[in-house]
Parts: sequence; C-alpha cells; structure tokens
Amino acid sequence: MPRVNGPLIVQSDKTLLLEVDHERADDCRRAIAPFAELERAPEHIHTYRVTPLGLWNARAAGHDAEQVVDALVQYSRYPVPHALLVDIAETMDRYGRLTLSKHPAHGLVLTSTDRPVLEEVLKSKRIAPLVGARIDPDTVVVHPSERGQIKQTLLKLGWPAEDLAGYVDGEAHPIELLEDGWTLRPYQRQAVENFWHGGSGVVVLPCGAGKTLVGAGSMAQAKSTTLILVTNTVSARQWKHELVKRTSLTEDEIGEYSGTKKEIRPVTIATYQVLTTKRKGVYPHLELFDSRDWGLIVYDEVHLLPAPVFKFTADLQARRRLGLTATLVREDGRESDVFSLIGPKRFDAPWKEIEAQGYIAPADCVEVRVNLTDSERLAYATAEAEEKYRFCATTATKRKITEAIVRRFAGQQILVIGQYIDQLDELGEHLNAPVIKGETSNAQREKLFDAFREGEISVLVVSKVANFSIDLPEATVAIQVSGTFGSRQEEAQRLGRVLRPKADGHQAHFYSVVARDTIDQDFAAHRQRFLAEQGYAYRIMDADEILAES
Amino acid sequence: MSPEAHPAPRSLAEALRARDDASLSALLRSRPDLVTPVPTDLTQLATRAGTRASVLRALERLDRFALQTAEALAVAPDPASYDTLLALLAGDAGDETVADALPRAVGTLREQALVWGEDDRLRLVRTARELLAPSPQHPSPTGLGPTVQEATSGMSPGRIQEIVTAAGLPSTHDSVSAMTALTALFTHRKKMAKLLAGAPEPAREVLSRLVWGPPYGQVTAEPAAHLRWLLDRGLLLPTSPGTVVLPREVALHLRAGRAHRAPEPLPPAVTPAATHSPQVVDATAAAQAYTALATVEELLKDWDEGGPAVLRAGGLSVRDLKRTAVALDVSEPVAAFWTELAYAAGLIASDGEADERYAATPAYDEWLEQPPAERWSRLAQAWLAATRTPGLVGGRDAKDRALSALGSGLDRSAAPEVRHRVLSLLAGLPQGGAPDAESVLARLRWERPLRGVTRDGEDDLRSRLARWTLSEAELLGVTGRGALSAHGRALLGAPPAAGPRAPKSGGAGTPRTGPAAAAPVSGTPAPALAAPGASASVSGAGTGTPADAGPGDKLPVHHHRPPGRLAPLTPAEQALATAAAARLLAPLLPEPLDHVLLQADLTAVAPGPLQRPLADMLGVLADVESKGGATVYRFTPASVRRALDSGRTATDLHAFLTEHSRTPVPQPLAYLIDDVARKHGHLRVGAASAYVRCDDDTLLNEILADKRAAALRLRRLAPTVLAAPTDPATLLEGLRAMGYAPAAESAEGDVLIARAHAHRSPPRTAPEPVPDGPPPPDTTLLAAAIRAIRAGDLAATAPRKTVGEQPAGGELPRTSSAETLATMQAAVLTGDSVWIGYVNAEGAASQRVIAPIRVEGGFVTAYDHTADEVRTYPLHRVTGVAELADD
Repeated sequence: MPRVNGPLIVQSDKTLLLEVDHERADDCRRAIAPFAELERAPEHIHTYRVTPLGLWNARAAGHDAEQVVDALVQYSRYPVPHALLVDIAETMDRYGRLTLSKHPAHGLVLTSTDRPVLEEVLKSKRIAPLVGARIDPDTVVVHPSERGQIKQTLLKLGWPAEDLAGYVDGEAHPIELLEDGWTLRPYQRQAVENFWHGGSGVVVLPCGAGKTLVGAGSMAQAKSTTLILVTNTVSARQWKHELVKRTSLTEDEIGEYSGTKKEIRPVTIATYQVLTTKRKGVYPHLELFDSRDWGLIVYDEVHLLPAPVFKFTADLQARRRLGLTATLVREDGRESDVFSLIGPKRFDAPWKEIEAQGYIAPADCVEVRVNLTDSERLAYATAEAEEKYRFCATTATKRKITEAIVRRFAGQQILVIGQYIDQLDELGEHLNAPVIKGETSNAQREKLFDAFREGEISVLVVSKVANFSIDLPEATVAIQVSGTFGSRQEEAQRLGRVLRPKADGHQAHFYSVVARDTIDQDFAAHRQRFLAEQGYAYRIMDADEILAES
Repeated sequence: MSPEAHPAPRSLAEALRARDDASLSALLRSRPDLVTPVPTDLTQLATRAGTRASVLRALERLDRFALQTAEALAVAPDPASYDTLLALLAGDAGDETVADALPRAVGTLREQALVWGEDDRLRLVRTARELLAPSPQHPSPTGLGPTVQEATSGMSPGRIQEIVTAAGLPSTHDSVSAMTALTALFTHRKKMAKLLAGAPEPAREVLSRLVWGPPYGQVTAEPAAHLRWLLDRGLLLPTSPGTVVLPREVALHLRAGRAHRAPEPLPPAVTPAATHSPQVVDATAAAQAYTALATVEELLKDWDEGGPAVLRAGGLSVRDLKRTAVALDVSEPVAAFWTELAYAAGLIASDGEADERYAATPAYDEWLEQPPAERWSRLAQAWLAATRTPGLVGGRDAKDRALSALGSGLDRSAAPEVRHRVLSLLAGLPQGGAPDAESVLARLRWERPLRGVTRDGEDDLRSRLARWTLSEAELLGVTGRGALSAHGRALLGAPPAAGPRAPKSGGAGTPRTGPAAAAPVSGTPAPALAAPGASASVSGAGTGTPADAGPGDKLPVHHHRPPGRLAPLTPAEQALATAAAARLLAPLLPEPLDHVLLQADLTAVAPGPLQRPLADMLGVLADVESKGGATVYRFTPASVRRALDSGRTATDLHAFLTEHSRTPVPQPLAYLIDDVARKHGHLRVGAASAYVRCDDDTLLNEILADKRAAALRLRRLAPTVLAAPTDPATLLEGLRAMGYAPAAESAEGDVLIARAHAHRSPPRTAPEPVPDGPPPPDTTLLAAAIRAIRAGDLAATAPRKTVGEQPAGGELPRTSSAETLATMQAAVLTGDSVWIGYVNAEGAASQRVIAPIRVEGGFVTAYDHTADEVRTYPLHRVTGVAELADD
C-alpha cells in the first residue's frame, strides 16, 4: 500500500506527534512551529498541540489556514481527519474578522469584514458597555480606555480582534547596544526582529538563553523610555547590572522602583510586588504607569505575571509590550490573557535546540529516592494531610544524601535549593555553607552571590527566594531537597540555574532528592514531567547507590 | 393484447384493466400499499387506489414537478387534454424544459394510477383532485382561486347580467350562458388584454397583488372606485360579505397562462463544494473506517465488565451517555451514534436480567475475530438498513418525552431510504466530489416536496436525516472529506465511477496532497475489477428497453424509470455489495504494527495501529493518553500495578517492553516497573469462607495432618488460624465427623467471591428495521398478485344465479328486503357465500362477497371475502343479494 511516509501523526485530540529521527522531521518542525505549541519533547516523538490560541498566533504572524492545512497534509503519515481540517480552517477564519483600528474622526473603532459577526458580538452583554456609537453598519466606536478589555472579552467570545490601532511612540530616549566583544546571538536577534515587527508580543526562550539581552535589544530598537516589570528586587538589580553593561545606558538613567527605592528614570525597573501592593483597597503605585510617557513596557517572566498586572496592562494597550518567558504554561491557566493583553507569541525556541547550538549547557538530571526510617513512616502515616508534604520533604535521610552528593562534587560550585527554612538551616550547618532565605538582606544576598561567583564559597544553600532571575553562572550542581509542591515552572527555573554554559565545560548536574512512597514522590513526578517533556530525561537512583558511590 | 384494441376507458378500473402486466406491476411496486392484502379484482384495485389514505401516500412520494403537474391538472377542466396541461405548466410563452419534462411527469402520474385516460382526456383521480384543487379552506399551492363558474354559483341572475354587461358582453337570457360567455372572455387573451387596458391604475395594482395568491382579499362594504371597477366586471367576485376572490381564469390570464409561478421541471443539481483526488478520499475514508472500528471496540471494552443500566422506559440514561462520550472522547451526539451503531449491528443488547444492563452480545466476540474490513462492512450494512436514528437522541418526542440512546421512539421509517438516496446522490457526483450539503437538501426537497414542508424555519425530518447521513457517513468512513469513497460506492452497489476526473489540486481551502500521496496504486486490484456482480444485479431493476416515447404516451409508463437512479438493494444484493466494499477497503486499512517507541517521560508511542495482543497488553500496562493515527500510552504506577495484578511479573514486563520497543527501555520506566513490583503483593488479600481458630497450635497441627481433613482443604494462615474455602456449616460438620467438638462463631468476616469477569447478554438478534408500510413486493409476489387479481376480476364479471331480476352489468343486485332476509338466512344454514350490494354510511355503494354467519336484530354478521375479515352489516343498507353461480 503506498503511503506517504511522513514524520507527523495527527491525533484526534489535535495533538501532533513528530518523529524526531525522521529525515523530514526538521522541515516538518519548521512547517508546524508557527501554529502548534510544542508540548513535550522527549527523545523520540515530540508532541505539539494545536489550540485556537496557537492558530491565532499563526494568523497574527501572517500565516493562513491553507498553509496550516497544507503543512498537516504534506507531512502527515496517515490521512488527516476531515473534521480536524475543517475545524482548523474555521478557527483560523475567526481571527481578524474584527479589527481594532484608528479612525481619523472617531478615534478607536472596531471594524468587521463580516457584519453578522459584529452583530453577534455587539449583542453580548459583556461587549455592550465597552463600545460607543455605531458609525456605519460595519464600524463601531470603542472607548479608547477599553482597548484591552474589549480584546480580552472578544477572545473569550471566540472572535479575537486584530489590533491595528498602532502604538504611541512614547518619550524618545537614546539607547544603543554596546556590542564590544559580544554580539546578540542569532536567535536573540531574530526574537527582537520578530517582536518589533509584530508590535507587541511574547518571546519564549529557555532559562539561560539570554532573555535580558532580548529585552535590551528591543529597547535599543524602541529608543524610548522603558518600563521593565520584574519579579523581585534581586532580579531588578540583575537587569540594571546587565543593562549598564550591555547598552549605552548609565546607572543614572536607570531607576529602581521597589519596596525600598522609588526612583522614576527614563528606564525604570519595577517589581510586580510593589505594583500589586494594595493599601486601603487601592493600588498606590499604579501612577507609575502614567508617570512617564513610556514607549515600551517589558514584562519579565510573563508566566508569573500576577492577575492585577493584567488589569493594569489592559489600560496600556497603546504602548508596545514585550513579554519574556521560559514557558507559556501558566499554573493558573491564564494563557489567553497573555495572548489578548500582551500579545501573541512572536518567537519561540525549544530548549534542546538552543542547547544543541551550545548556548546553554546540557544537564544530567537525577532523582534520588531516599527511604523514610520506620519511625518516620509511622509518623508520616499519622500526620495531618497538610503536614504530610513538609514531613516527608524534610526527612533526615535527605540530609545524608545531600552531604554525600556535595562530597562527591567537592570543589565544584554547588547550590542546595529547598523550601523549608528549618531544613535549609540544618543543611547549612552540616555543610558549613551560608544560607540565603527571605530574611537575608539584599546587601547580604548580593555579597554572598558575589562570593559564590568568585569561587570564594563553593556551596550555597538557598530558599525559594533564589528561584527567579538571579544569575549564578558558575553553578554546576544543583541539589533540590524540597519544593513548592508540584510546581512545574519552579522545577524549570531551578534547572535553569545550572543550564548556563560553563566556562570550563563541566557537565551540569541537577539532583532532586525525594522521599520514596510519599507525596513528595508524587509531586516530584509532576514537576519532572515538564522537564522530561522538554527532553531532560531523569535518571532515578536509590539513595543506597549514591551512598555506595561516595 | 395491445392497448389500442380497447375503446377509451371510462373509469380508472377500465384504464387499469387495459394495462399490461408489466405496467400493473410497476404500479404495485410504486404503491406497495395497494397489494396488501391482494385485491380481489381490478375494480377493487381501482377503488383502493382512489382511497384518500392511499392517494395521499402516493402524492407525498411524488417529486416536485410531478406534483406540480398534478396540481395543474387539479385546476384544469376535467378531463383536460395534454395540450391544456402543457399550457398551464409552460405558460403562453411556452417553455422548452417544461415541455421536455412533462411526458415523464405525466408518465409517473399514470404509472401511479393518479392520472388515467388518453392524452386528449387526461383525468386526475377524484380523490387527488379534491386534495389538490383550491378551496377557501385549503388554498392550493398554485395560489389560484375558484373558476368563474364556481365563484358565481350562488349569485343572483340579475347581478350576473349586470356583470356581463359591464364587461362589455351582450346580455343573455340565462345565467349559464352568461357565465359561459364571461369565461370565454376571460380566457381570450386579446379581448381580456383590451378589457384590462381600460382598468384604472390602482385596480391593476390590486390585481397584481392577488395574482400569485392567495387570491382572496378583503373589501369594505363601500369599496373604493377602483375595486368597484373590478367587481363590476367580474374581475373580482364576492365570496362572502367583505371577501372577494380573483377568479381562476383572470389570474391565469395575468400569469400568462401559468399555474405555477416557477415550474421546476428539472431536479436541482447536486453541486460539488470541493473536489479531492480519489486517492485522498479513499485514504481518508479508510482511516476513518479504522477509527470507527477502534471506537466501537473501545465502547464495548468500556462496557465489557457490565455496561450501563437500562432505564425503566428503555434506553441509556443521559448520565451514562455523557460518561460514554467522555470515555470515547467524543461529543454526546457522536457517542449516541456509536452506541446506536453497535446496537443496530447486534453487538450490544440488554442482558435481560433483573437489574437490566447493556452488555456485549456473543455476536460481538465473533465480530472481533473477523478481519477489519469485514468488521467494517458489518457496521456499514447495519447502518444503511437501520431505521433507528441516533440524531434524534437528546431531543423530545411528540409527547415531550426525552428520547434516549438505545431507547424507544428512535425509529424513523424514512431513514434507510433517505440514507440510500443521499449516498446515491453523492455517487452521482464525479469521483472525489464532496457535495454542497445545501444542494443535497434542495434536491431531496424537490424529490419529496410534500414531505419536505418546513415549519418555523426548522428543518423537516428528511432534511435532518440527510444532514445526519452526511455526518454519519463521514464518521463511519463511507465518505472521506465529504466525498463518497470507492468502498462507499461499492456498498451502494453503484458501479465504480467511470472515468475518474483528473484530481483538481489547489482551490481555496482544498488541501493538496504531496506527489507521493497521489502515487499510483500498485499491487492492488483496480477498483473496477473489485466490484463484481453488484452493478449488474442492480441494473436488473429497470427491465425492458426504454421506449422512445412521444408526449404523454399512454403506456407502458414503467419503461421511463430514469436511468442511473440507484434502487435500494434486496438483502441478497446488499450482502454482495457489502462484500465488494469490504474487498475494496481491506488494502486501504493500515497494517498493524508490532512495535512501539518508549520515551523517558514514561510514554510509549505506537506510531500506528498495533497488533491486537500487543495492544491488549499495552492497554493493561499503560493508560491511553491520546488516540488517532497513533496511540500515546502513559505508564503510571497504577497502570503498572494493573499489569502486575493481571498476573505478569516485573521480568515479564521488562521482556515485553524490550521485545516490542524499537528503542532502549528508558531507565525511569524500568525503575518504575521495579519500584511498583517491589511493593506489589506486600499485602495479601484472599477469600475464605470459614476459619478455624484455636489457641493450641498443636491441635491445629493435628487437624492438618489428619487425612480425613483433606476434603475440607484447610490452609494455615497463621499459627493459630486455619482457613477453609468451604462454608462454616460444612466445616463444622467435617470437624465433628473427625471427632472434634468445634463451636461456630458468628458469621461476621464472611467473604464473598467476586463474580465472573466478562458480562454477556443471552444470544440476541439485532433489531429489525421498521419500515413505513409494506416493503415493495418482489417480482414473484407481484406476478402472483396480478394473477390473483385477474382471476378475481373474471369471477366478478362471471354470470351469477339471480333470485330477482338480472342486474345490468356493474349494477348492484336488487332484491326486496324480504327476499334479502330469506336468502341470507338460507346462506347461514348452507354456509354458502353470497354476493351483496351494499351502501355505506356515506352513501357509497360497493359489491361484496360475504359468507353470512348469523342474522339477527336487523344485522347480518358475515365473513367478508372482499375485506378478508368478519364484519357486521345492517340489513337495511344491503341493496340486494344474489347467490354466486356454482360454476
């Protein structure tokens, strides 16, 4: 039977299975990447998912339904179900029926190429308060302040609007990249280009792939005042440090807007925390958004963007917005808000691809299973449900294993990461290493980080404060003793700590110490699934093996 | 016997008598209700063909143009000539298409005995005329009003003369001639044009509003001048106070002679919405066919250990349907379709136990053993013939009861016919053509206009059936990308599409296939060779040579069966066609694979369908995560435990994975299996019916060592506990017999044995399709029926022994009441049959042959040979009686 021996298998649940070892796999990957989200990338078969958001992302990037259908039919091993093709064409067709644009006389207007669609959405109770007078049968005025709201609502109704209303230039400010001895990597350049061309949107890059530089590159494109939103103060400093080093900006031009400092400069870096602080029911720091005529807003770690920030963002639709993230997966499922308020995905590079290009270090991931002692098992069995995780995650056996691993990699830069302070303090004591936790002052933190970077300290015990955005380039081994339950993105972030390329070419190691037969093991399985799906296969070892090795 | 030998027939019965056998059998075939029970003679056949129910049924089955022809005949004078009819349909200007199509339409009406008579005297049967002719209660679809004659029937002669005068005609001496003159004026195009030319503008406007119907209008007691003008000239006639009507002749004049605004002589063409290459269509359909098999199998597997409960009213509860839909990962209507399909194919049925549940039938196990193509053909055949319509599930019936899947009330007798018709329309398209659904519906509406009446903008049943057919055919893999596949074509018994058109590539939204997809089918038999016999057997339906018939040729009409129209197949033909379809499908189905790809994220991907043993084992060892062309399995601790529970050891599992994996077994997976195996069986659970407890373990040792205890099958669980599979009473007895004195403990802790594994209903037959009315009789039955009718006809016209005076031919026997009573009573005694004349409550007279059983109280109870049942007749309604001639 003659059959097209394509690398792609289209599943009825709209997942696409790509056989990586197939000779046409690379072509196929390129063909489907614009509209399908890479969901899992283990060693043999990669899974992509076709979602309405993905299809609309593709439409926003200028692809049409025919290209999508063509890609599927061309590379598919088996005939593609007709219903699926029809569904794809219909879904894609929904994007761009409605457009938001600037009308010379009426300001912001919603225009439709398909009158019934406009009628349908105008009938919705949620749209009615957002629109004004009907100018002609196909056009209706939108209150300029509701530009974000209406996009959000239209997406929920299944008729995503294309935003062609343009952006304000903002207050000009000269920013140049200082490419002395380094240059933007090709994929970073591509990311900047795609973003700038698209106007607004999200760039997805793995941890350690240099997202800050994509931000810097975009700022150099915009050449205007910029507001950068980051997760915490350490991260803010990191950004500042990096911007001073990589661009023509000086210390004085960059302000920090955080719990401790409230500087507003041409480039201002603010933390999510300070923005979402609520006093007497209002957000006192909201004026930051209006304090300058920002030309660009950068959102670091979009997947962590707190809900109130979405609300503010809805009001900022006239400004260019760049989202940076390692993953579009949000634990709260608000991917659609990212799409409608920040923008479609503009660039995406899977981890493995960048790893293959040598920009991030490959890692050896090991899960070590430790046994609880008999008395611990009894205590675990009788523990209250909410105490169970803490109990098994902080078992004394983990300490022994951690010590063994640290001994094994003596001389290398080792991070020990955990959730529970008691456990970390105890570990710090036994390993004779400093502990960075929530109460550690920022100055102290930076001092310790510097010492670690310089190699003065080789083991550092950190709590989840170090989860995000700190840059520890020389860490080659990370040992995770406990985590925030089953958080997948935490796992990704932690692994990111050791993925930066090592100067000496050391292989990175990521150890996860897990208590066997407890919910700790279940959470670990959940966390690892994300990484295993990204192609980072875990080996599982018994504690005894580790102890025997050392 | 040539028809020309007869004089012009004077009644339908005579017209029928003049027909040849082939023509009669065509009539009986198209109106099968006439032959059950077999009428005794042609007169009775004619009477039955004229009953309201039968005529309605026949009218409902007419296509739009035949119906329009009948409607036109109903407004034409009775009898009307062929030319009059043509003029009514084609208009004064004439219409080539109508003129070409009319002979066929008249032929159809003649064949169905709705119209009889020569071309110059065409008559519509009376009942049909009553049904179709316009009356104030039932406005005709033509929108025409009554004739001048009818509308003026109650008018005073003086008024009539006024009208005649106003219309510019000389006054006559009586109303009848006045009306004739007026009618002549109205039907004369030139004079009429002249008359209307003088009409005031508003009057013409009024006419143009009424011309296409409804022809009735309201006027005030003091009509405006322009209305007055019309009323004066009889162009509008009053029907009741305040209401006027546009007479038929006037309307026809204004319409340029046409009875219908838009005659539709030609069936609307079914247009292709897209054309795909036949290879793509077949491949897509085959893939879908495979999915259909997998889905049905999955459904039955899901129900294997006891399916959902049967509702008290029959059927599946909404919750169970939802659950099934989730399990199959489809929408609820689709889940209902699969369930109904499995039911129609006889794969599931109620188990008939006290707590009734659905279960797989033994036929399912046989079905599973068949090769995939045959499994599919069984499903497809069941689907084609089923009258059950899953599309209705979730709706409500006329009594507002919810219609549930597998429940009652889902049978729609039109379903198989519509299904067959839709697929044949698809077969009429060029190969690879996917029809525009709306054009299919339009065509179906044209073919059955009366059945296709839409209410409140909702689709009628036939349209809904057609839509369901299109989507179900796609689900089942009969069509691919909306176009009929080669195996779907074979299923219909249609010949393979002649001359496949060059596949059109491109076109908006039409997916193209790579060059490899269109690669020539090598090594497989050409489709044309694979559909044997089926096509030949079908063409047998329209026998005879097509006569090159002139306009409205009289007989034999049955030769005009339009060629290319696929007749539904007889069961035997269908079996052949299905087998042919299976042969075509078989090579297209994917070859099962013997390997999977294992990955470190604890998934296994089967890049195609798996061989059954492999699939079964993997189904136990891992959970299915995603289905389609490939299957993605995920290994979890629970799934591995399930495999261990089913009796595999960790070593078995490792060996199994190594054997079937193309890639090395990932370490986390191997670890997972070992980890689960390590814990597996740590706790032991078993069943025991009785135990022996004793603090003295020496005594227990003694019992175990005793040979007489062997029958009790005691087992030591702990030093002081023995367990036995026998019940406590037996155990007690056994121990006592051995000379011990055991005491019974309370029955608590007694464990019940789990029941048997798979759940099956007793042998069941698949539900029979419920057709609407009797099936079309086959040739043998027809021949027999016609022989019987002819024989009866002879008997009816045979000489009879009469008591009174000889009745004239065709008249009812007449005897005095005394004679009637005496003859009846005599007949009761002798048990003879007599021939009576009878007038029913409506005054209709008939002749019947009865065998009187009892005569009392002014009634005669008799076995009526004509009706084939025992009936009671009031004696005073019997006009007369005659003994039957002995010879």
